[in-house]
Amino acid sequence: MNGLSVHLEGVSKIYPHFTLDNLSLELPTGTIMGLIGANGAGKSTTIRILMGLVHQDKGQVHVLGRQMPREQAAAKLDIGYVSEDMRLYGSATLAWHMKFIRSIYPQWDQPYSETLLRRFDLKPQQNIKGLSHGQRVKAALLLSLARRPRLLVLDEPTTGLDPVARQEVLAELMAVLADEDRTILFSSHNTLDVEQISDQITFIDRGRIIASDNKETFLDRWRRLRLALLPEAVLPKLSGVVEVGGSGRLPVLVTNRFDPAMVSACNDAGPLFKLSTR
Amino acid sequence: MNYEMVKRLILKDWYLQRWAILASLVGIVATLGIIATGGKVAFLIGLILLIMVIISIGAQMAVATIVTERKEQTLPFVMSLPISYREYTACKIWGNLIIFMVPWLTMVVGSSGLLLLSPSSRGLLPYAVIMSTEILLSTCLILAVALITESQGWTVAAIMVGNLAVNGIGYLVAHITGIAKGMWGATIQWSGAASALLLGEFATIALLLGVTSFVQSKKNDFL
Repeated sequence: MNGLSVHLEGVSKIYPHFTLDNLSLELPTGTIMGLIGANGAGKSTTIRILMGLVHQDKGQVHVLGRQMPREQAAAKLDIGYVSEDMRLYGSATLAWHMKFIRSIYPQWDQPYSETLLRRFDLKPQQNIKGLSHGQRVKAALLLSLARRPRLLVLDEPTTGLDPVARQEVLAELMAVLADEDRTILFSSHNTLDVEQISDQITFIDRGRIIASDNKETFLDRWRRLRLALLPEAVLPKLSGVVEVGGSGRLPVLVTNRFDPAMVSACNDAGPLFKLSTR
Repeated sequence: MNYEMVKRLILKDWYLQRWAILASLVGIVATLGIIATGGKVAFLIGLILLIMVIISIGAQMAVATIVTERKEQTLPFVMSLPISYREYTACKIWGNLIIFMVPWLTMVVGSSGLLLLSPSSRGLLPYAVIMSTEILLSTCLILAVALITESQGWTVAAIMVGNLAVNGIGYLVAHITGIAKGMWGATIQWSGAASALLLGEFATIALLLGVTSFVQSKKNDFL
């Protein structure tokens, strides 16, 4: 498992209405990977499998060198996990949660937790039920980050937040992540969130990984071609176009294999005017 | 098995349920006080309230620490901690039993004390012990159903069944010859029937908890 914090190989999980199909994934140590997919694509199932919370039907899962789900207790000692469906105890204070987590994790960093309290603008004596959703997400992040995990797993942490709170959480998260090197798996159906944080991106769709590469390569490959088509011009057939949107004379092509030759092909096809390629 | 983690999780449930535990203790002491006043009406009212309080705290513990944990989505938080599902199950079984034992033992010791202090009621002691153990059995049934199904509906059904069983079994036990014979006497008559019933109750508790641990160990999905 040298250099890999997460290693999934041929992992399958079959539910009555959904199948995670032969998934293989590698997350090198020190990398921030964004897992992107629509709702129901299999992001949360993948994350639950690698956390040992759901047992795979087939395949091997190693997290931080531990075989999952068999060694989940040992692995989770070094994992910080925050998910969209995770709630803290409403009747207890954040201070109680911090004390509780500190009693479990010997690597709990008290000065760092206090720094995070200030940075996230959280009051430790406040009951969790009195916090806004954004504050609860920040509280959960604090509890995960201050235990200094070797691996941070964030399953749609910004889901359900209003745009302002989402931006706030992301900004705080990015500031925290800038502190040091961390290995992070971050899932979201929001590509912008992932783009801001990740340096490697994996796309998952209907239970299968359809692409996994570094962010720059993706940004380079994925382009939106906005075209202005004159009446007599015909839209050329281009390979690598995954979606044709827009309307009539203003088509928008989305490609996952952008090549500058595509622009030339469009220009050669007739008098059309390229508006932008992003 | 990481016993340290199991202990911490039990202490967590104890802390989060501390007011309910305290309220049940106050309720038990108050109802024992009503019984101690001595009148027949006070005895009946006190007994009904006592059974109500003890059944309620058992049900409350199972609902609050297991069903609500899933319903209010605090289970992912617990399962993100360094524990396996085996440890989670152990924590819930032992935690619920230990916490329930506090009001239950208060009730058993208190009611036994009252019966022993009143010479004319001493004969009721075997019946009281059998029925107290039946309440413990009902609580274990609720706990088992809550853990296995994690469903509010099934747990409520188990609470109803457990409650009815206490009434039904109470009636049946009172009519077993070996027990009924000495019930209203001034001396304690511990019969073979009483021993067999008590043994059967403890065996059923052990079976229930064993089956629960086995079913839990076969689960593959915890969220």
